Amino acid sequence: MGVFSILRDGLARNRLLGLILAGFALFPVLSGIMDEPFWNDLAMRIMLLGMAAMGLNLVLGYGGMVSFGHAAFVGIGAYCVGISQFYGFDNGWAHIAISLAACGLLGLVIGFLSLRTTGIYFIMITLAFAQMLYFLFVSLETYGGDDGMSIDRADFMPIDLWDPLRLYYLIWAGLVIVSLLLMVIVRSRFGVVLEAIRGNESRVEAMGLVPLHFKITGYVISAMICGLAGALFASWQEYVSPDIMHWSRSGELMIIIILGGIGTMAGPLIGAVAFLLLEEWLPELMHLVAPAYAENWMIIFGPVLIGVVLFARGGLVGLLARIGGRRS
Amino acid sequence: MSVQARTGPVLSLAGLNKSYGALQATGDVALEVAAGEIHALIGPNGAGKTTLVRQIYGSEAPDSGSIRLRGEEIGHLSVPQRVRQGIGRSFQISNVLADFTVIENAVIAEAARTGDAFRFLRPAVSDPVLVEGAIKILSRVGIEGRADTPVSDLAHGERRLLELALALASDPALLLLDEPMAGAGPEETQHMIGIIDRLRGDVGILLIEHDMDAVFRLADRVTVLVEGAVIASGTPDEIAGDAAVRAAYLGSDDDAAA
Amino acid sequence: MSFILLLEQIFNGLQFGVTLFLIAAGLTLILGIMDFVFLAHGAQVMIGAYAAASLTALTGHFYLGILLAIPITFASGYLLEYLLIRHLYRRNHMDQVLATFGLILFFNELIRIGFGPAALFSSLPPSLSGFVNILPDTPYPLFRLLVIAVGLACALGIHLLVSRTRMGAMVRAGANNETMTAALGVNIRVLRRLVFAAGACLAGVAGMMLGPLTAVEPGMGEPLLILSLVVIIIGGIGSVRGAFIAAILIGIVDTMGRVLLPVILRSFMGQAAADGAGPALASMMVYILMSLVLVIRPTGLFPPKG
Repeated sequence: MGVFSILRDGLARNRLLGLILAGFALFPVLSGIMDEPFWNDLAMRIMLLGMAAMGLNLVLGYGGMVSFGHAAFVGIGAYCVGISQFYGFDNGWAHIAISLAACGLLGLVIGFLSLRTTGIYFIMITLAFAQMLYFLFVSLETYGGDDGMSIDRADFMPIDLWDPLRLYYLIWAGLVIVSLLLMVIVRSRFGVVLEAIRGNESRVEAMGLVPLHFKITGYVISAMICGLAGALFASWQEYVSPDIMHWSRSGELMIIIILGGIGTMAGPLIGAVAFLLLEEWLPELMHLVAPAYAENWMIIFGPVLIGVVLFARGGLVGLLARIGGRRS
Repeated sequence: MSVQARTGPVLSLAGLNKSYGALQATGDVALEVAAGEIHALIGPNGAGKTTLVRQIYGSEAPDSGSIRLRGEEIGHLSVPQRVRQGIGRSFQISNVLADFTVIENAVIAEAARTGDAFRFLRPAVSDPVLVEGAIKILSRVGIEGRADTPVSDLAHGERRLLELALALASDPALLLLDEPMAGAGPEETQHMIGIIDRLRGDVGILLIEHDMDAVFRLADRVTVLVEGAVIASGTPDEIAGDAAVRAAYLGSDDDAAA
Repeated sequence: MSFILLLEQIFNGLQFGVTLFLIAAGLTLILGIMDFVFLAHGAQVMIGAYAAASLTALTGHFYLGILLAIPITFASGYLLEYLLIRHLYRRNHMDQVLATFGLILFFNELIRIGFGPAALFSSLPPSLSGFVNILPDTPYPLFRLLVIAVGLACALGIHLLVSRTRMGAMVRAGANNETMTAALGVNIRVLRRLVFAAGACLAGVAGMMLGPLTAVEPGMGEPLLILSLVVIIIGGIGSVRGAFIAAILIGIVDTMGRVLLPVILRSFMGQAAADGAGPALASMMVYILMSLVLVIRPTGLFPPKG
């Protein structure tokens, strides 16, 4: 079985994801026709958050490790770009390589230290490491401290990013690569063992495998994907501040995954679409219903999250599957 | 006898001790399992049988003593290391991968056995090499016909068989069976006895079992554990006739050896 | 740095520590015996602070405001458990994180709508705004001393409640075994609700005492929530004693770090840079401390037995 047929097989099993990726590829045509360039901006944000959530989903959904600090990897990925530029280093490809290396290394260290613990302790120690990095960057005045640093759109030779549409397709290509990578990984021996560990660690040990090795490897891959998302995020936002690593950002990534459907390929991306559309539309909806409270859309958004937990098990992907199942 | 002398015991324990505070869970235990024999470990509830198995398996560390597998000290090794050295274990409560199908369970076990679990590209479950090995694993206990069934749909007896299949998957030299008949009906028990009987000669088995009928039908040798200490060891006939065992354990149940 | 300033900071650390303990005491039981990840505990602090501040303004009387606010915080915890939390006990940690994260958003926005986004500053009555000498010629704010006293009194009360009463025994036994506790004649549902309400009440009291010392504003609970989670983890989830020791430790490390680190940093960088980096590095120290504890003892310093 060659790489090509493995990919084709993977796509055939993940039609929903393939469909969404195709949708993002064609989306600029629609926004062009409608003459709404802002839509592309929103779509880029969705793809970036979706990419980071996909990375987190590998450990959260497939590996069963509730990491509450993955925004730190997104942040480190973005700061790698900012700091590289700060020292006059402008090549975008090199930025990505640096981000991947930094997040891989950091993921290895944090994973190694955190994965000794389980349950609530694991949730909290991953949160603690993220907080450490957050406060570290708040304290680094050289790189803007609390205020953050501005970033020039990097130089992705030979692609010149003067046209925002090129950035759009750069991000899209990144998302496609991450999707294909994860699609293959979760069905590989490694991926299946990782999923087995989630359900029953002691049985995997009894087979002669060391669960920790698989968990750390999964953690590192996931950190690197978040790093990639962060590096591209820096180019998109042209700015980075410690806020990108705030603990509530890690919470948002978890929300996106659960909203879309945890432990599914398409879930994180669908979740990102839903999350950001809610964020865009709820204020407008509030503006229509109660203009005085347009700013206070969180009063609806909070209960929506609770409702998803209580009533929409399996997230939107689960919901789609149930609708599809009823039809057939 | 001469064959045994050449190959030596597959497992030998010497001077094994483990206590929890004042409670002596394992007291100076010495025990040998010969290659290919079925060695039953019996004793009343709380005698420390499972604790002993856990120490051999590596999920609990003894306070002192030696554990040798085929002559090599393994006391310092972790659970996965011991499994790779040749120990297989079935658990008292079925411990299979409940979210997967039967064949997926076996495929993962096969990937572990071949030592190639760290691969990221080819899909595992449709890998013909793995599937072929997985079918072999299942056929040793005769459940290859249920390959595509989700574990959650298996009957209790089938789960016990899958459990045994997974314990055998790594081609162990020593198999630790912790109450394989637990919770099984009479028919399932007879079936399980037949399968374990057929393993005799292939693998050394340390069998913990409460079903005395099964013990006396299967065991080549029996060791009796009471309050963490070995009070008798011998052939089933010797054990059935041992006065100390009767007094301490078999009690008035004289039919046990029949 | 003078000895007097140092002493003052130790007292400030102690005051912050007991405040953290009040927040952590209930939360450690919620995490420990109910195995429930409750992120909205910071909102209970905020509710307490707002209740006290607005009731004080309304009645024109500080003590009366506090007295009326206490039952409100108890009731808010009780109601929250009844309306939502009890449906989430059987869910996995992730669902709990998400649902209680939603609660945070909801409560913060509710307060923003009700009281506006700006911070409230509540003033102390003259009888409490004075100073006392803790050593000769070493004045220290009376109210902060009072906070320490109230915190220690609450700690003693919780200790007696948990270690001496029948209900405390249930809590200690890790009363999540429904059949066992039912057999003992304890209604597990009522027990959980009471632990929840009492926890909310303690967190609310922490908020009331922080009110006159800091800004009362939407979202004020979250930094405190995160710090009290650190406290709980260091102390060992479910251990009230561990939470107390860890809270004092974190209170002093955080406070001292904020004051001492800029001073230390000034010796090898500019004053402005040092003053900017110091507090953030002090916050980092807290998390470094926590990860050190977890790396060495993966279940905290005083994990409850069993």
